[in-house]
Amino acid sequence: MSAPPAVLADRDAELSGAAVRRLTRRATAARADTTVAARLAEAWGSLVSVAIGVAVLAGTVASLRERVTLAGAPATATVLPAGVTAALAAVLALAGLVVALDRLGPVSSTPAAAAWWLPLPAGRRDLLRGELGRVVAAVAGTAAVAALPLALTLTDAPSLGGVAAVLAGTAGTAAALVGAVALGQTRGGGGRAAPVAGAVAVGLAAAAVGSATVLAATGGGELPPLPGLPAGWAVLPGAAAVLLLAGALAGLGRLGAGQLRALGATSQYASASALSLDTRDLGRALAARSPREPRRGRRFPRVAGAWQAVVAADRTALGRSPWHLGQVAVAVAVPVLVARTDGLGALPVAVWGACAAGWALAAVAAGHPARQAQLVPALDRLLPLSAAGVTVARAVVPLAVLAVVTTLTGLLIGVAGGTPALWTGLCAATAPAWAAAALRGAFRPEVDWSGPVVSTPMGALPTGVGATLVQGVDVGLVGSLPLAAALVSGGPTPLWLAVQLGWSVLLCAGALALVARRPSGPG
Amino acid sequence: MPTDRTPGSALLEARDLRVGHGTEPVCAPVDLAVAPGRALGLVGANGAGKSTLLQTLVGLLAPLAGTVTLAGREVDERRADVRRDVACVLDDEAFFPSLTGREHLLLTARGHGVRDPEAVVDAEVAAFGLTGRIDALPSRLSSGQRRRLALAAALVRPARLVVLDEPERRLDAGMRTRLAGRLARLRDDGAAVVFACHDADFLRAVADDVLLLDEDACPRLDPASAADLLPAL
Repeated sequence: MSAPPAVLADRDAELSGAAVRRLTRRATAARADTTVAARLAEAWGSLVSVAIGVAVLAGTVASLRERVTLAGAPATATVLPAGVTAALAAVLALAGLVVALDRLGPVSSTPAAAAWWLPLPAGRRDLLRGELGRVVAAVAGTAAVAALPLALTLTDAPSLGGVAAVLAGTAGTAAALVGAVALGQTRGGGGRAAPVAGAVAVGLAAAAVGSATVLAATGGGELPPLPGLPAGWAVLPGAAAVLLLAGALAGLGRLGAGQLRALGATSQYASASALSLDTRDLGRALAARSPREPRRGRRFPRVAGAWQAVVAADRTALGRSPWHLGQVAVAVAVPVLVARTDGLGALPVAVWGACAAGWALAAVAAGHPARQAQLVPALDRLLPLSAAGVTVARAVVPLAVLAVVTTLTGLLIGVAGGTPALWTGLCAATAPAWAAAALRGAFRPEVDWSGPVVSTPMGALPTGVGATLVQGVDVGLVGSLPLAAALVSGGPTPLWLAVQLGWSVLLCAGALALVARRPSGPG
Repeated sequence: MPTDRTPGSALLEARDLRVGHGTEPVCAPVDLAVAPGRALGLVGANGAGKSTLLQTLVGLLAPLAGTVTLAGREVDERRADVRRDVACVLDDEAFFPSLTGREHLLLTARGHGVRDPEAVVDAEVAAFGLTGRIDALPSRLSSGQRRRLALAAALVRPARLVVLDEPERRLDAGMRTRLAGRLARLRDDGAAVVFACHDADFLRAVADDVLLLDEDACPRLDPASAADLLPAL
């Protein structure tokens, strides 16, 4: 066989980054097995689904506003104007967005793009520009859609200009955050925005809870409402977005292939988890890039036996996850802030819903070690404990965390209502149910995609997907029904406390027995 | 310390065992018995069913047919006594991401009530050449070091039966030799050892009997003949 001729190239003929992206796009489109009509139909279906979602959410918010107007005296002392709580909720949501952006990039490359396109002599900035544009469009668009129901119901008679301003402001803020995180990424600060955003969110929530509790307990009156936004405010986030994105765009060429590839792999993992409705995997993808090396290893001198070893391992795993500890802090803040907010504090359903949301968040955080163990069943087999024994041992850390969270919640809500002991007891009595929820959620089975599917506005989904996904939170919600009944019937009483405790313990025992019966499986 | 290595009553026994994923068996029916102080090697081509058989022997997969017993009782890996008696390394990635290597070993040793666990762990760490890296998180270790850590976790605790899937995999030559010697000593001290293997020297050093897994039949071989067969598989 003769040797192939030497490969020669002209620098002038090299493809630019934009040309590579264009070629890739065309080749992908040429091989796509969907027609334009099919794509239009899919887009129309998505649009209808989004419109239905917006209408439902807007109706819910409007109904809530009406009920707030008609509500009687609050069951808890309220000191926070609704605007302050709404602003806090917005900050928490934006912090969550920053965390997600930072974990996933925001600029990344799929492993294929990293292997084939990044080594080309084409300018990296041009290669990555499209990726940044896609992220900005997706995040800003999603933020605007999410804000639409609120914009439509903020006032009794929303004006077109007002709604447009809210949407533009929200989309601009989201785009500015993408720009800020991307700018940090191009300057070597990737991975730093998430801890900062988390710390800010936890700090603000803690400060709000602290000041609201002190004001309520001392009868110090209500916090002043936030000043109104100046005219034309909606332009500011957009202007900031343009500046930040321009800076980020200029720095795209500095991003390293290794970092882009790692972030791309994480993004793919997160996307696959979201598409397959595996919230556990999605949480793993978003939780942390990689755990930090502990400064000093532990020797566990007090551990003397298998049961204690499981508890010690879980405690250490949770203690080394600042992300989940922050989640626990926010979990306490959510119900307290709602209970202290004008209007919402007068709605038992809102207070109960906030308790359930906060404690569900705490249950997810407390179930972190169990979710790790679920991923590698071999961990459970390392020790001389039966499967049922391991399950019970794995419930200890969630129970301790939930006991602290629910007790603090009850104490902080009840401290200004004259019945702090009953509030504390009633909330704390839900802890067993939520601890079981943490474990049931961690060990719930995977969604079975091999069976029949049903058509839904979100696309084809396997039958029984809802029943699978609610495993975990279902025990917590059902376990907290006596709390709801107590709130609706006028507040906590010793009888409700006893009912709540008995019901919660019963559900906990049942749920743990079910979890213990699960097959361990290979791996 | 037992020195008589003639086969006694079986600790692990499988009769007319069919193994596989789903309903299709991956190899011919297997009959085996492993007594304390004996080591059984499993050999076969890739996909012959070695890992599937090991998973079935320790109760992680249900047999398609036949029985597996450990000390006369049907194997149920969910029982505490099975977990106490059986140490297995079938998967290299079974770690808590936020616990260091030493913490994994210490918790395993303390969980099994090992006397003087710190000294035992230190000795295993040294034996597996992990001294400089044992305080790192598993994600910071190389794949070979993670393999060593997984093997150390199986040996840092007492066990009547040690089950290993290709223990020589990803180990350097020196470590392979030392591990083979270590398993042979474990066997001589009375433990039963079952392992799948692709390394002829390793097989010769550790196994007393060998089972060749195949679609048509699973014959017993002596280690020397099996080792000679390995290059042809």
